[in-house]
Amino acid sequence: MTTAALELINVTKTFHKEREKVTAVDSVNLIVNQGEMVVFLGPSGCGKTTTLRMIAGFELPSSGKILIEGSDMTNVPVNKRGIGFVFQNYALFPHMNVYNNVAYGLRSRNERESTIKVKVKNALDLVGLTNEEGRFPNQLSGGEQQRVALARVLVMEPKLLLMDEPLSNLDAKLRIYMRTELRRIQKKLGITCLYVTHDQSEALTMADRIMVMNKGHVEQIGTPFDIYAQPSSLFVADFIGQANILEVIVESIEGNFALVSIPDGWHYTARIIDPSRIRSGSKASLIVRPENIRVRKRQIERIDDIACEPKTENIQAIVNSTVFMGGHIEYQLDLGSRGKLLAFEPFRPGSDIYQEGDNVCAIIDKDMALLLPGN
Amino acid sequence: MAKDRNGKMEHVHIIRKDPALFLALVIIWLSFAIFILYPLLKLLATTFLVKGSFSLDNLTKILRKTYNQKAFCNSILLAAAVSAAGTLIGYLFALAVTRTNWPKYFKWLLSSITILPLISPPFTSSISLTLTLGPNGILLKALHLDDLNFYGFWGTFLSETLTYFPVAFMVLSAILSTMDANIDDAALSLEGSRGRIFRTITLPLSMPGIANSILLLFGSSLADFATPLILGGHNFPILPTQAYLQITGLYDLKGGSSLSFLLILPALLVFLFQRYLVGKKSYVTITGKSGAQSQFSRLPFWLETLTAVICSFIALFIVYLYFIILQGSLVKVWSVDNTFTLEHFSYVFTNGKKAILDTLKIAIISTLIGSFLAIIIGYIIQRKKFAGKRALEFISMLNYALPGTVVGIAYILAFNEKPILLTGTMTILVAAYVFRYYATGIRSVVASLQQIDPSIEEASASLGAGSVRTLFKVTIPLIIPSVLAGMRYLFIHCMTAISATIFLVSVRWTLLTTRILESMTELQFSQASAFSIVLIVLVFIADAIMGGMMKLSTKKFGIAQENIYDNSGA
Repeated sequence: MTTAALELINVTKTFHKEREKVTAVDSVNLIVNQGEMVVFLGPSGCGKTTTLRMIAGFELPSSGKILIEGSDMTNVPVNKRGIGFVFQNYALFPHMNVYNNVAYGLRSRNERESTIKVKVKNALDLVGLTNEEGRFPNQLSGGEQQRVALARVLVMEPKLLLMDEPLSNLDAKLRIYMRTELRRIQKKLGITCLYVTHDQSEALTMADRIMVMNKGHVEQIGTPFDIYAQPSSLFVADFIGQANILEVIVESIEGNFALVSIPDGWHYTARIIDPSRIRSGSKASLIVRPENIRVRKRQIERIDDIACEPKTENIQAIVNSTVFMGGHIEYQLDLGSRGKLLAFEPFRPGSDIYQEGDNVCAIIDKDMALLLPGN
Repeated sequence: MAKDRNGKMEHVHIIRKDPALFLALVIIWLSFAIFILYPLLKLLATTFLVKGSFSLDNLTKILRKTYNQKAFCNSILLAAAVSAAGTLIGYLFALAVTRTNWPKYFKWLLSSITILPLISPPFTSSISLTLTLGPNGILLKALHLDDLNFYGFWGTFLSETLTYFPVAFMVLSAILSTMDANIDDAALSLEGSRGRIFRTITLPLSMPGIANSILLLFGSSLADFATPLILGGHNFPILPTQAYLQITGLYDLKGGSSLSFLLILPALLVFLFQRYLVGKKSYVTITGKSGAQSQFSRLPFWLETLTAVICSFIALFIVYLYFIILQGSLVKVWSVDNTFTLEHFSYVFTNGKKAILDTLKIAIISTLIGSFLAIIIGYIIQRKKFAGKRALEFISMLNYALPGTVVGIAYILAFNEKPILLTGTMTILVAAYVFRYYATGIRSVVASLQQIDPSIEEASASLGAGSVRTLFKVTIPLIIPSVLAGMRYLFIHCMTAISATIFLVSVRWTLLTTRILESMTELQFSQASAFSIVLIVLVFIADAIMGGMMKLSTKKFGIAQENIYDNSGA
């Protein structure tokens, strides 16, 4: 068995703020494999950056252990950990040119200037900054500064590459370009990478696995597909992608499926990920992604008519707003006392478009809704 | 993000974790104990210990004398008057430079002239005022006001106001120019008139600066020693001169230390209040991201006219005073025998040569030691975590907060006898300067570090550099311009200060400032003028060199610094 690139064991960080004890990171456990890219995702203040900074050694955990390639690094200073850290603001040395920025770490290691020269050139080639050695950070664009920051770290061939929201200072278009670029470099070098972001699309597009954090806790660790398709909590469901959350009553359970209902007689058979947390007869939350809802014209134009079509899977609704997004149409549907529903209907020229006030049916695709315990 | 860096557990095992910090702390605390705390305790002991037990006898004895009561009241009265007048003039100058559309060269001229009193020895205005308005003063003669007695409150007040208003100007022009001109635009678009904008926007937003300036000037005037010594006369005693005379004239150490104790209370009060005010103000960081460039609204007509008249008059008067000193140094006997001579200068360069060399030597050594300490102390205050940081910060400022007379008296009390016998040495002079004037260096290092995102140092650590390498390769190069600014201030003060060192000079080590004072007390006005001119020229040369170095360093890092500011906003 190969040793894990990184192992976090019950890593906890508490600090005192005006005599109040605050737990910023609460017993985080994580094993990262060699060459894997794990993205820490969560809202600001969830503890993801603190976790990353503890792995780097900028902060010391209050308790727990950090192992890098099997050896205990919990109390080892930053400069002895063999990690590379890319900062949100790049933190380039403003008084040094590109070459000296990238060479800085190698010089700390007392490598020979001839070796340094070769390595710096290779690193700059890798990030696509050939022939820019002489320029100063302030003469570079945001994207170029980002590349220098990356080259400065990669040249050290770190065991772990840690990145703290590295793309958040770039404009939208460059951000999307850079995330594929980062991923390309990471895969090419086979370097183990931990990446902090609050941007879910960044996490979904870049990660091998995502660790979703909230209020210092780990909510879920899994592949982007798992996280999106099988969120293990309401928080994850709501935070990743868009989700409708319907309050339902569990009628009966059969294996990994449950029959649920809402008061007006609507029924649906939902998947359950963890049957132990759901009980028959209790309330639960039904998670439906908007792209899994079809919107159809209602046959009978009366909102209180139960038989929208004689199927119990159809929910009757009134269109609240219609927004054309190009590839799809976003419908905001009004369910009366039962709340609202967001639905994405793919757009094809010639297909029906419903307008505000139209009576419609919302149909949830079979097996596409997930049941989680209620709040 | 939860970027808390106040975790408790980092405090433990400081020796093992950060031996360099530990060593620095030991050295700093040791130097504080010897050169700040011990003298002060000695002063308190001399004041309050009578035959080994606590007593208020010395204090009551001093306070019973009406002359001393008068000195206390005069000190407060003078400080209040100087701070009010100085702030008003400083504000007018600041408005002239920031809120008018006068020609650029005129604004440059105004702000250059205000720098003159800042970098001149404290006697300059006193001497030239004496030559102008004193006995046989040329202005008195010209105006036929022969019987006007200029010594006392009015002379001291006039001289101190001229000396200290530039401080107000610096504080207020800084605050006026950092305001957002878009606010003026907004007010204009809401149909505000120029007068209304000044009343409702400019003035209220200047208030923190005005308060700060009043406190700074109050403290400076309270502590000023040279001016009242020359211009105060017998009818206008104030505390620092009284304490000085008590000690040098009457050899009454207990009386002198009691008088300085009276001075400590208001001085510390003003200092603490000023620090509190400045501390409350949030930092305006330069983000580089500003809205559309806009112009400040102009002043209302009446205020612009008033500003023009007063500023021009004062600027001319200052230039005139300097001219008078030059003239005074080149005549045989001022106002009596006005034949041209260079004999005073040749006296300065022969008899006064030792003083010149001593002054330069002491100033250079003090500047080097003081700057080094300022970097280390500023760095650990801003960047490191350790127990007793607040106390360290406060004590480092103590000698600066206290009037120079107090520090001087405390030093002779402390170092006049064993175990630490330093009287008559260069060490005592250097120590007095270093621990008094490095405070500005510390503040500018701290301020400049605040602007540098800690992630730049973290980046260095994550690239394998230890803390010493990070300090020398990354941190210090980035703060060089502000270190030089601190050095410049330190050097000028070492050249020109007198209040503390007047007690500490000896036959072996003498200073230009004390020579000026001697000439003045011997009524050798022309000689004093010549000494002053030499000192002013030396300071100007040194200041120009330092200024040039600062320009060079900011040129190299200037854009780089901007870059830091840009990114630290993120």
